[in-house]
Amino acid sequence: MDVFSGLFGVAYLIPLLMVASFVVVGLAGKRLPRLEWGGWVAVGFAGAAMVLGVLIGAGEMLHPGTWTNVQYTWFHLPGNGTGPTPNGVRLVVGTLVDPISALLLVVVTVVGFLVLLYSIGYMHHDRGLPRYYAELSLFLAAMTGVVLANNLLEFFVFWELVGVCSYFLIGFYYEKPSAASAAKEAFLVTRVGDVMFLLGIFLYFSAFATQGPAGTGGWAASGFVFAHGSTPFLAGASANSTTLTVAGIMILGGAAGKSAQFPLHVWLPDAMEGPTTVSALIHAATMVAAGVYLLAVTSVFIGFTSFDDLLIVAIGGFTAFYAATMAVVHPDIKRVIAYSTISQLGYMVLAVGAGFAMVGLFHLFTHAFFKALLFLAAGSVIHAVGTQDLFKMGGLRKPMRLTATAFAIGGLALAGIPPFAGFWSKDDILSAVYSQLGAHPAYWPFFLLAFAGVFLTAYYIFRAWFLAFSGDHPRDPTLPHAHEGPWVMQVPLVVLSAFAVGAGLFVFWPSFQGLLFHGLGAAGIPPTYGVTDLTLSAASVALAGAGILLAWRLWGNGRVFVLAESSPAQPIRRLLLNRYYFKAGYDWVGARGLYTVARAADFFDRYVIDGTVHGFERAFAYTSDRMRRIQSGVVSDYAAYVIAGLVAVFLLLLVVAPYLVARLGGT
Amino acid sequence: MTSLPLVGFLALSGALLAVGVFGILTRRNFILLLIAIEIAMNATILNFVYFGAFSPSPAVTLMGQSIAVVLIGFAATEVAVGLAIVLALNRVRRSINVAEANELRL
Repeated sequence: MDVFSGLFGVAYLIPLLMVASFVVVGLAGKRLPRLEWGGWVAVGFAGAAMVLGVLIGAGEMLHPGTWTNVQYTWFHLPGNGTGPTPNGVRLVVGTLVDPISALLLVVVTVVGFLVLLYSIGYMHHDRGLPRYYAELSLFLAAMTGVVLANNLLEFFVFWELVGVCSYFLIGFYYEKPSAASAAKEAFLVTRVGDVMFLLGIFLYFSAFATQGPAGTGGWAASGFVFAHGSTPFLAGASANSTTLTVAGIMILGGAAGKSAQFPLHVWLPDAMEGPTTVSALIHAATMVAAGVYLLAVTSVFIGFTSFDDLLIVAIGGFTAFYAATMAVVHPDIKRVIAYSTISQLGYMVLAVGAGFAMVGLFHLFTHAFFKALLFLAAGSVIHAVGTQDLFKMGGLRKPMRLTATAFAIGGLALAGIPPFAGFWSKDDILSAVYSQLGAHPAYWPFFLLAFAGVFLTAYYIFRAWFLAFSGDHPRDPTLPHAHEGPWVMQVPLVVLSAFAVGAGLFVFWPSFQGLLFHGLGAAGIPPTYGVTDLTLSAASVALAGAGILLAWRLWGNGRVFVLAESSPAQPIRRLLLNRYYFKAGYDWVGARGLYTVARAADFFDRYVIDGTVHGFERAFAYTSDRMRRIQSGVVSDYAAYVIAGLVAVFLLLLVVAPYLVARLGGT
Repeated sequence: MTSLPLVGFLALSGALLAVGVFGILTRRNFILLLIAIEIAMNATILNFVYFGAFSPSPAVTLMGQSIAVVLIGFAATEVAVGLAIVLALNRVRRSINVAEANELRL
């Protein structure tokens, strides 16, 4: 054991560092003499977190397959020896450093640090800088918390925290109505998934409470803790499989919400209302990948039933293609990349569903770098020309050589051209899924969709590149003269470019392979590079090359391809531009359906519940007001009441009582 | 004496009571009100005397007359208190109209 493994036990320092950064920047940021200083403080904390994260990653590579679980019992409800939970329920908080979390930790801290550094240049003009840095610090704390969580409940808590940070940061320009509404949309859509996730946790608890998976001492006693070992719980548990199928669907729902998978994908393109840096960190590299991570962790520690696996493959494969089609026509540089994110997350989900969780996570790893690179390069462009409309840009290659190169490298990585990062991980996914086709013929259509997505991916990202960078001059002459950003913006581009080139080659590095192998037995094995895989790779590279060629043919050298109004493809283009009317449909459901229900509930609350309460109140007020008038204070009135009472008593005794006696008998 | 029927006497006290109640309900002048109360009360006192007198038992006769005397005393006391209130009211408000004295205090 050396210094690295000692670090595994103090992994909790990483989230704590970022919480400290959140507190310091949040409280003191506005009081510092210059607003950027708060940014540098956050960058410093993030740098320390990155050093720790990378050291932990390195330690995990040097000691393959080490598990370090540090936990603390939050509270323990003792059991009475009987019932479904004889040992009671123990809820723990803790950190688990294992190959998977080490991999993710490196991604989150490195990309987080680079984005924070870049933000100093990108956001320098913004008055809300301390708020921005405080929120991003909190986000990084929560995200590292998600990665390190050693049980599902703790996972869920941090998961919600990243959700709320995402909400804050999408709505960073809250005075813009579109940003405020995008933030709300993201929050509400992911909420649907989050509720499903929580239900999934409950279902797993109920399924495993009586009989824990072999060798774990039971979930009831251990409180959802992820146990050591490579055998998924499901393999050893004879729990009710209907419950587990439903629980798996619920977990998938949670992951789909966070990772913007069909049909909960609508929020991610709108989340581009936030600053580009936020899009790079949260809505491309880390938070949206949390859904994939959740699926991977669940498949590693619990396992999915075969129906769930098919559903996951279906959603992943379909989303990979479906989102790519929308990216093909969009004029907004950030939204093109956002659709691309949804599509790439679809590939990861596909891999997890096919039973290759680590392959999916490998793609997550490479994707984080090249997608963050694409966003930061797009951020440079937006920073320089002040618009996101691709059709106004053009010819930016000359004034922004570094950015153009970085975007091209990101694009090549995304398109899957060897030797760039995306090629290795995406090809692993395709060949991994292909290897399952024999056993699961139902995967065929989704494999083909994902395969077709390769062509679209290459086409849309290079369409964006050609539109922005090729040609001689901007199509909109009013654009300001473009220039590169300051060094804080250039350094992250260079570093991320290096990763976008080289991260995929890590797979040939034995120590890194160790991470993937030891993540989880068989599911971590990257496909071997046999003849079939090489054929597949050749086919997918050819497809990607064809996509790039088509993009060049239509958009290269400053050309603008205009689809004729009479073209039969126009309805398709409109369908794509309108996002298959999904958003409109959800808005309709929200505005008509839910709003009607809300109105009815409001009516019920206002007039039935409140009405009853207020009705009583008014009845009493009215009665007492009337009764009060009797108390006139005039003696003769009181005398009259006394006499009226007397008369009433006499009438009762002399008329009513004898009548009743006569009617009813008796004495 | 005994030849007269009891019902005639009772009719007399009933009439007196009616006059008194009418006065109580309609008069606004405090003194007239007191007088009306007095009339109504005397109807009661008379009843004690009649029932005593019509009883075959001399003891009951005596008791009825004794209670009548005590009640006359009560009535006098009540009028004395009533008149004291009238005087105080008149001194404070320069009026003995009961409708105006509706605050249950001076």
